[in-house]
Amino acid sequence: MMNSMNNIKEVEDLVNKTVKVLKTENIDKNQIAFEIEKLEVHRLLTVLKNTGWIQLSYLSAIDWPDENKFEVVYIVFNWEKPVYIQVRTKIDRGNPVMESILPIFPGAKYYEREAHEFFGIAFPGNPDYEKQLILENWDDIPPLRKDFDPSAYSARKFPSREYPQDFSVKDPNNKTLEKTEERKKRAKALRVGGKKQ
Amino acid sequence: MKEMKLFLGPQHPGMHGNASVHMFVDGDIIKRSYLLPGMLHRGFEKQMERKLWVNNIALIPRVCVPEPDINEMSFAIATEKLLKLEIPERAHWIRMIILELARISAHLMAYGGIGGPTGNYTLMYHAQLDRNLILDIFEKITGARVYHQYIVIGGVRQDLPVGITKEILEFVNDLESRLVEYRDLGIDNASMIMRIKDTIMLPKEVVWELGVTGIGMRSAVGKAYDIRKVAPYARYDQVEFEVPTSSYSDARARLDIKIKEVQQSINIIKQCIEKMPEGPVRVKPGRGQSMRWTVPKGHVYAPIESSRGEFGYYMVSNGGTTPWRVGVRGASYPQGLLGIEKYLPGTRIDDAALWVDTMGICAPEIDR
Repeated sequence: MMNSMNNIKEVEDLVNKTVKVLKTENIDKNQIAFEIEKLEVHRLLTVLKNTGWIQLSYLSAIDWPDENKFEVVYIVFNWEKPVYIQVRTKIDRGNPVMESILPIFPGAKYYEREAHEFFGIAFPGNPDYEKQLILENWDDIPPLRKDFDPSAYSARKFPSREYPQDFSVKDPNNKTLEKTEERKKRAKALRVGGKKQ
Repeated sequence: MKEMKLFLGPQHPGMHGNASVHMFVDGDIIKRSYLLPGMLHRGFEKQMERKLWVNNIALIPRVCVPEPDINEMSFAIATEKLLKLEIPERAHWIRMIILELARISAHLMAYGGIGGPTGNYTLMYHAQLDRNLILDIFEKITGARVYHQYIVIGGVRQDLPVGITKEILEFVNDLESRLVEYRDLGIDNASMIMRIKDTIMLPKEVVWELGVTGIGMRSAVGKAYDIRKVAPYARYDQVEFEVPTSSYSDARARLDIKIKEVQQSINIIKQCIEKMPEGPVRVKPGRGQSMRWTVPKGHVYAPIESSRGEFGYYMVSNGGTTPWRVGVRGASYPQGLLGIEKYLPGTRIDDAALWVDTMGICAPEIDR
């Protein structure tokens, strides 16, 4: 635990030996990120799991519409050598397919289902990645994509209501409006200390 | 006998938050089961992408309702890592006091919550009363009882009020003296032992398959795998505390660890109050306009130890005034979804609520 910088170096050597690293980011003394090719993710994760990074902490995706890519991120952790490793890879946005890592980390099952639901990424190898999880009867593009507009969706889905009867205050016998005005005036008078403005 | 479908929840005394466990039962043995989340989905991850970094602080405590402070802490740490911001020394210690008080309150809620499924409501009333006293302290410090929005980017919102440390000490000493009563009423009570001992086991090899963290893992693996010890954040490396473990994980062992962790949190709070230096508590996080400051590009994951396990925010900045992507790693994701699907079958119907309670499943953080 004391020599955490050595741990980072060790991880860097291990990863560089296993796969071709496109980009490395040192985040802090307990965290490092690697960007690698899509096809090498499974090899790297298998090697890491066999070396001690047995916990899959997080799996998700990021949308980069300008590059026309999705970035899939895996975070693994080793409790004996406390280093969080982000493994990131970019996949095509038009036809997003990423092989499932279920044989390596069985805990990824629901993360992959969620990533499919919110980004539309297919995970062949995961038997039920296409089942709905959180969103019920969703009928739009996956919502965490950047081109999904929540306001437009809500305007389409929940149009503003037309009331058959006008409930606004118009009744001459109804004094609610005047009372409200009166109350506002009194509150204002209190604020200025009862003095005339 | 014919297989029958039963539901646990969405509203149930053993269910914290609205999620429903669908169980296919034969007699009273569960044959198949799965969790149906989504009833608390509020689209937080999308909303956060549309709000300024500061504005998000009002949103994040809602991600996990029973324990909101961990959200603020994780969000603040992640943003500070992106900004490469050093926060004042005193802020670290105040954050630790808040987090440990929150941990005690969450543990009391879970420990008392076992009263719902087992029928031991006296325990629940006692625990809720003590939790209420913690909420009173929070109200004095932050002005709010449940959603504090106190831990902000760059430190804490304001300094502790005068004389609050004395009140906190009085409370924790009082609670410490009554922990033995909690044990007697809960886990050392003969009728409770009959009910919860050797139920809903979590074998050691299952832990890594599921990816369970926190008390669930420590009770099965028997090692002090706690992020506060292994990869300390704030100033947890400067306080002394133990991580209680066990190598036999049933409902009783997990509750035992919860009440031992309350004791450790009390120890941490006492040390924090003793070691806390004087000084400023907040720095300005960014340059530019008061709220529309930007954060440099980067990806960062900020894990912290919640009462239920590893909780973290994965944040991506594009260099803009709003986050590009915020991902929440809910601590109860593995045990809530995969655990219910794979390891509940074979147990009895009435034990399902015990799994939900002792493993600490928080529905809002699964849905977000």
